[in-house]
Amino acid sequence: MEPEIFRRDLGAWLDANADELTPPYEGLASMDVSMEHYSRVKRALYDADFGRYGWPESVGGLGGTPLLRAIVGEEINFRDLADPNAWTMIEVLAPTVIDFAPPELSARLVPPFIRGDEMWCQGFSEPDAGSDLASLSCRAAKTDGGWVVNGQKIWTSFIEYSQRCVLLTRTGEPDSAHRGITAFLVDVDSPGISYSPIETMHGRTDFAEVQFDDVFVPADRILGEENGGWQVAMDILPYERSTTFWHRGALLHRRCSDLITQVAASGDHDTAAAKAIGQAFQSIVAFRSRSRDTQHQLAAGQQLGVETSVDKILITSAEQQLFEAARDLLLGVIEFDEGLTAAQWRTDYLYSKAASIYGGTAEIQRNIVARRLLDLGPEA
Amino acid sequence: MSEFIEADDMALLAASFEAVMAEAPGPGEADQALFDLGWAELLAAAPGPAAAMVFSALGATGSAATLLDDVVAHALGMPISPDVCVLLPASLHAERAAPQSDEPRIFNQEEPLEISGLVSSRIDRAATVVTVWDKESGPEFTSFEAGFLRNRGATGVDPAHAYRHLSVRVAAHFLTPLEAEATWETAVAAARVALAHQLIGGARWMLAEARQHALDRVQFGRPVASFQSIRHKLAESLVQIEGAASVAGACVHDPDPMLAALAKSLAGQAALTTAAHTQQVLAGMGFTAEHRFHLWLKRMLVIDTLFGSASSLPTEIGQDLLTRGTAPRLIQL
Ligand SMILES: Cc1cc2nc3c(=O)[nH]c(=O)nc-3n(C[C@H](O)[C@H](O)[C@H](O)COP(=O)(O)OP(=O)(O)OC[C@H]3O[C@@H](n4cnc5c(N)ncnc54)[C@H](O)[C@@H]3O)c2cc1C
Repeated sequence: MEPEIFRRDLGAWLDANADELTPPYEGLASMDVSMEHYSRVKRALYDADFGRYGWPESVGGLGGTPLLRAIVGEEINFRDLADPNAWTMIEVLAPTVIDFAPPELSARLVPPFIRGDEMWCQGFSEPDAGSDLASLSCRAAKTDGGWVVNGQKIWTSFIEYSQRCVLLTRTGEPDSAHRGITAFLVDVDSPGISYSPIETMHGRTDFAEVQFDDVFVPADRILGEENGGWQVAMDILPYERSTTFWHRGALLHRRCSDLITQVAASGDHDTAAAKAIGQAFQSIVAFRSRSRDTQHQLAAGQQLGVETSVDKILITSAEQQLFEAARDLLLGVIEFDEGLTAAQWRTDYLYSKAASIYGGTAEIQRNIVARRLLDLGPEA
Repeated sequence: MSEFIEADDMALLAASFEAVMAEAPGPGEADQALFDLGWAELLAAAPGPAAAMVFSALGATGSAATLLDDVVAHALGMPISPDVCVLLPASLHAERAAPQSDEPRIFNQEEPLEISGLVSSRIDRAATVVTVWDKESGPEFTSFEAGFLRNRGATGVDPAHAYRHLSVRVAAHFLTPLEAEATWETAVAAARVALAHQLIGGARWMLAEARQHALDRVQFGRPVASFQSIRHKLAESLVQIEGAASVAGACVHDPDPMLAALAKSLAGQAALTTAAHTQQVLAGMGFTAEHRFHLWLKRMLVIDTLFGSASSLPTEIGQDLLTRGTAPRLIQL
């Protein structure tokens, strides 16, 4: 399947099915409503085959390059058809589960995920293990036929809507760092799992604090090797920073275009406004160009690694620059205005502040670039 | 022919071009040797890859070969020759100027005509000057003899580069109208992409110097490279360089003029950021005339200014976007 033909066919299909695919709400809906619509869009794409390309046949896909998945998410984001953050979870988690789960397990569990019938979440961070993820302490102990998990996770996005969780646990000695971590694919409805949602500053509850009390996980739910969980976590990063970022880049492009349209329509813009727009657009183009190179490397079967920290830093700057420009140019809209457009700018502006925190903070990314790409030796 | 230049061949060519440039870094010193190496043929056969390779080498070696004249002349469909020199946009006040107005200009159409712009040191050897005249009816190309402009003008912050700002009066009968095969916009795009590569090549050189110094210099009993604020400065430089390099790389064949402007702007920003961080990491050593850093800093200032700077281009691009009313999708998978 040629990417350009695929994009054309997909575009035609999206246009033809606009009635079904366009959200039944304007602006921001509640999480419940937007998650429901997200599932509907996912399912429709799957049934029309577009949502199956780029996934291996072993999990219900139709094969082909991951570029095809990048194109689907891009077109959905250009048209604002479904919640972009829910979508990211698939691109972040499914490829790694396919890489590490026993084939039988992924053949059974992955299809409902990519079909949009299920949602999964990522249980990595803990109250005492944020940037220093390798110090995590949520414990998994061996028992008959499996493992028993005890401990806590935090900032677990979408757990309320999720059926499964990719979980990192401590299986080695407490101080075994990255050598003593094991990954599991856990059912969220397992007895002993409880969670309480955490209100976010942008007004949408999408993460939670999670408690594990004697949670039994069957032996066949292990991902990778015992004490091999760090590889699983590291495997996720390049996926997160290729396809997912490409999708988010499309969203930023659309919002930049929205800003241009709004400022142009208002008629009164000076040189400073033009400059702010030029700079925001420039950062988005730098990110998208870099991300395209990364996409092509992935499609060519190259192993992606730490160099994707560059992509992460570029998208973070682009996102924060864009929404700062929006705040400056739409003077007072974010602070005071009522209405759907203002609410969207306000939410996007606030959410952009998370870009330098999730998925490895801005500082951690720079540490990685310095150590691994510039080879500057150990830190003081 | 571009398909026939394999990556390996390009790397070999790059090595021989770099060697010649490093040998003779002064203004125009390497020009003849580069023409002898086949610069004109390479540019004619594969303008995008040729400019990318050769201008990266200019940036990396700090050479002041005057090859931009050829890139502009070729983009306009004019002969590539060390005898042709191009009067370039001054762009000194582009911040205030409307888009398109940073072309080299013949200000009034009364006699004698006042011509203002930037020229490379090639003017001291070339026979002909080519420039563009922005008449109300549209741009018109013109040429005149170089002779009376030799060894004139102020060289400014980077005498080793010898780009000069000229403002001269010429009687109209000295001017010969020229038929250009392409628009001035095409030539501007080609020049911007070439200069973007030069800025990136220069930025990579500065970053390598800063990195080595940070590893070698010991203070408080450890290499200064171990201090996080130094590490983050260098990381920031690398990220900007890679972002700019990707966009410049995307301009290799017939770039959209806006994409070329973005490449130049991003590259200028990356080079200026890297220069500032390198200066700080080199500290006292970087403030000397002995360390070669200052040569790159000054070169970057000049190259950033030619054909629109990191400060002026975003305004030009933003104005263009506001006129269009939407953001074009310049980057496709
Ligand atoms: C919107 C959102 C969604 C999220 N979703 C999930 C999810 O689904 N699953 C999940 O597991 N996690 C999730 N996270 C958590 C995220 O991964 C962590 O917040 C992140 O790793 C940082 O950890 P922390 O918040 O504990 O900050 P800390 O690690 O405590 O950092 C505090 C500050 O110190 C700095 N710092 C720390 N170490 C260093 C160092 N070595 N050098 C320099 N500076 C340093 C940090 O950069 C930061 O500025 C989410 C976070 C957000 C904001």
